[in-house]
Amino acid sequence: MIATIGFGLLILAAGIQVAYLFRRERRIDAFSHYIHLSAAALLFAVTIDRSIRIRFVAVTNTFESLVFFAAVIALLLFIYRLRAKDKTIPFITFGATIVALALLAVASSPIAPKDIVPPIPALQSYWLVLHVSLSFIGESFFVIACICSIYYLASKDEERKKNLDRLTYTTIAIGYPIFTVGALIFGAVWAQNAWGSYWSWDPKETWALITWLVFTAYLHTRFVKRLRGKVSAVLSIIGFAFTMFTFFGVNYLLAGLHSYA
Amino acid sequence: MSALYNFFRSIRLAVVLILIIAVLSILSTLIPQGKDAAFYFHTYGAFWAQVTLSLRFNDFFRSLLFLLPVGLFFINLSVCTVDRLVNRERRKARRRHGPDLIHIGLLLLIIGAMFSVFGRREGMVYMGEGDEIRLPGEYTVRLLDYEYEEYENGRPKDWISTVKVSREGEVLVPSFPIEVNKPLKIGGISVYQTSFAREDRAILRDAEGTSSPISRGEGFEWEGAVVIFQGLEGSIAVFEKWENHSRTETYRVGIGERIGEYTVEELGSREVTGLKAVKDPGFIPVVIALIVFAAGLTLTLLQKRKDKDI
Repeated sequence: MIATIGFGLLILAAGIQVAYLFRRERRIDAFSHYIHLSAAALLFAVTIDRSIRIRFVAVTNTFESLVFFAAVIALLLFIYRLRAKDKTIPFITFGATIVALALLAVASSPIAPKDIVPPIPALQSYWLVLHVSLSFIGESFFVIACICSIYYLASKDEERKKNLDRLTYTTIAIGYPIFTVGALIFGAVWAQNAWGSYWSWDPKETWALITWLVFTAYLHTRFVKRLRGKVSAVLSIIGFAFTMFTFFGVNYLLAGLHSYA
Repeated sequence: MSALYNFFRSIRLAVVLILIIAVLSILSTLIPQGKDAAFYFHTYGAFWAQVTLSLRFNDFFRSLLFLLPVGLFFINLSVCTVDRLVNRERRKARRRHGPDLIHIGLLLLIIGAMFSVFGRREGMVYMGEGDEIRLPGEYTVRLLDYEYEEYENGRPKDWISTVKVSREGEVLVPSFPIEVNKPLKIGGISVYQTSFAREDRAILRDAEGTSSPISRGEGFEWEGAVVIFQGLEGSIAVFEKWENHSRTETYRVGIGERIGEYTVEELGSREVTGLKAVKDPGFIPVVIALIVFAAGLTLTLLQKRKDKDI
């Protein structure tokens, strides 16, 4: 129920943003970021409520992970809108809101069971909690970077392109270390503790590594003049697409150790 | 020499290698790893199976196809790391040690991982209450108690194997509960709770009247062949006789009946816990590498914040 209200608020925010994108008048969208903040608060409340009921941090199944992911995106959008004076922001917040809505739509679908059940033994580890939460916080920055890059490729205005390129870079520069520590380092520590092997090349691990390699390549294209710009933007979009594949695609298309997450 | 140095110093080479490793890794996840040759012939047909097997795509992460680009990347990264450090000293440029730490961490990680690839050993054992195993280094692990807990809805909550560890008669750990996510660590070996099972057992009495238990999968020699206990069918024990890698006969035996030179005294089953013992000389180097790596990431982020880039 709380999650549904959060979902509704995000739809409302997206609606306001669309209206603003059609008629650029400040008064139309003076407060949609506060709607984001409220949506984030409600979604975090879902996580807290479930955590109390299962007596563990509620990031142990697909539904809970998606709710947490969407909450972080909504919170980030609030912060970015508050801090940035950039004219490109309304389009970016709109794009990222759509991503958050899509994640919640998947959460509400039958592929993500909503039963409130405590975690099985392998998942009872605070390394897992750090692994999952930091992975999603890092990936939330990649959502924004991806939208910026799409806008960059579509845009012709040099000044705007420069801003978008900078924004893509800064979001990845924050998201990348968080993602690396969460997805790869804490993931490896947890795997060592649970299975006695810090890396097993199971498809989800391999895909997380591939995603990391793409973002690593992105950061290094910044130092090579000929690659900077278009190639960087394409890599940032591919990187985000891979985070989504690692999360959803691997579960349903490739089998492995992570079959419960 | 300097041409070679410049080649390996290039960031463009790094980007290309990273993308090559990424693309090859993607292919590896599309082809199931570690199956036997027949699987690939059946699934992909003769030609593609040959391609897969000759490139060792079925064991990709140990194949030259993967290790070669990783090796080149290692050289590339080493040269870049040294180059960054030396040049910075020369130019007295701003001290930016975050990326250096990340690169050093990554190099250490690759080295540590190689120790794991070549030095990691693991063994799996099923134990019932009272059973003992020997670990390298003269450690004896005895299972004192095994518990399975479940939630009200029947989902597994915990598996706990309580063990005693001793060495040459001296008790080192009187009682330690091994749980999933809580391994026992002793003398560089870690013991993990991995599974549990019900195991069929038969107690056999030999001609001299000595009784000894035999578990499913175990066997004894008889007239130049091997007889293996295959488990229970109701209250009947099933044994198979194997000669030259093929099964020659199946016996169904009840309590009091004879099999080979033994008499079946008792049949039953018991709960056993699956424990995995792991010794990985690469783990400590990898942990150190990860700490350096994480410190580098944090430092980079903090330095970037100062720049007001973000």
